[in-house]
Amino acid sequence: MDNIKTSHSTAGQDHGHGEGGVPFFPDHFVKEMSVMALIFGVVLFLATLMPMPVGEPADALKTPPGIKPEWYFMTVYQMLKYVPKSAGLVFSFVIFPPVMMLFPFFYNWYTKYRYGRLILHTIVALGVLTAIFLAMLAYLGFE
Amino acid sequence: MKLGVVDFLDERFDARRVAKEFAEHRVPDHVNWLYCFGGITFLCFIIQAITGVLLAFYYQPTTDAAYRSILMIMDDMPFGVMLRSLHAWTANLMILMVTLHMLRVFFHGAYRPPRELNWVTGVLLFFMTVTFGFSGYLLPMNQLSFWATKVGSEIAGGLPLVGHYIQAFLLGGEKISDATLSRFYAIHVIILPITLTMLLVAHFLMVRKQGIADPL
Ligand code: HEM
Repeated sequence: MDNIKTSHSTAGQDHGHGEGGVPFFPDHFVKEMSVMALIFGVVLFLATLMPMPVGEPADALKTPPGIKPEWYFMTVYQMLKYVPKSAGLVFSFVIFPPVMMLFPFFYNWYTKYRYGRLILHTIVALGVLTAIFLAMLAYLGFE
Repeated sequence: MKLGVVDFLDERFDARRVAKEFAEHRVPDHVNWLYCFGGITFLCFIIQAITGVLLAFYYQPTTDAAYRSILMIMDDMPFGVMLRSLHAWTANLMILMVTLHMLRVFFHGAYRPPRELNWVTGVLLFFMTVTFGFSGYLLPMNQLSFWATKVGSEIAGGLPLVGHYIQAFLLGGEKISDATLSRFYAIHVIILPITLTMLLVAHFLMVRKQGIADPL
């Protein structure tokens, strides 16, 4: 329970009153609006200069050369080339999602160890780099 | 007696106090530009909702008509090219931003107690955002749509034991047909928008209640 007390100072009803920080309005609000304008600019720019092509109509008999998934599926797609297929699928769809979802509930357990959190964050950082690397391989069409 | 809109709302909903509390709540000093990504994801979702509804005015979810309706959107609908391109680009941006938001939260350790449940909501939001992308990709019924869905559903079909059932459930049969398009459309424009909105409400209420986490 100690962690609940020490890991934050503003939970509960007292949140957002009194000490520290800047008021949401106008200080922070102005920044949010600037970011919003920037994002509008970015998507309008992309949509204007690179409009979506319509493409060829779907044809079940004509396999197009070099099919690749959308970029956000490329990591899984590439990984499945290197590991046994069923193992890769069980990892990606059965093991990974619940672990990713539930690990914070074990926080008090793994932080009992001196470098528990540091080790976890390092593993995930390496995992992220590997994911980016695999996606790049897929993008370049490596077998 | 002069009664303005603000007075009207104030008498009924205590609007002044609510607005004042929201306007004056403090944003901690350690908040920097890395904290933008959640808000940008939300902005993307709003852009998607608006452009998506407008596209739905013209889009027709049958294998016969889908491709033609996209041509109509591109050639005849006022601002059709702009709407469709905005929807497609913002979809990609939203997935990128939700990923960056998640990494930001992770490496700041903002998942730790008492914010575990907000992390859980977040993970669900992440998978739903990606599913938005997957289901939307089939809708134009072009070559890319067709083959991405075919390969994607075959990959899911490779899961031991349940794979075949999942694939049949996704496609509504053995292969891509009207049944597939109908269910992808229902998932894309009804199921995901409603569930994602409900989870977002929970997500934002939790952020307000618990405040932004202190740095590690
Ligand atoms: C549709 C997707 C999502 C939207 C629109 C969204 C939006 C937001 C916003 C606006 C905040 C306020 C702080 C910030 O922006 O950094 C926030 C905080 C938070 N989000 Fe999300 N989020 C989404 C998905 C996720 C995901 C995928 C995760 C993690 C798996 C997540 C976990 C959290 C947590 C733990 C906080 C509290 C952070 C803190 O206290 O510093 N969210 N979210």
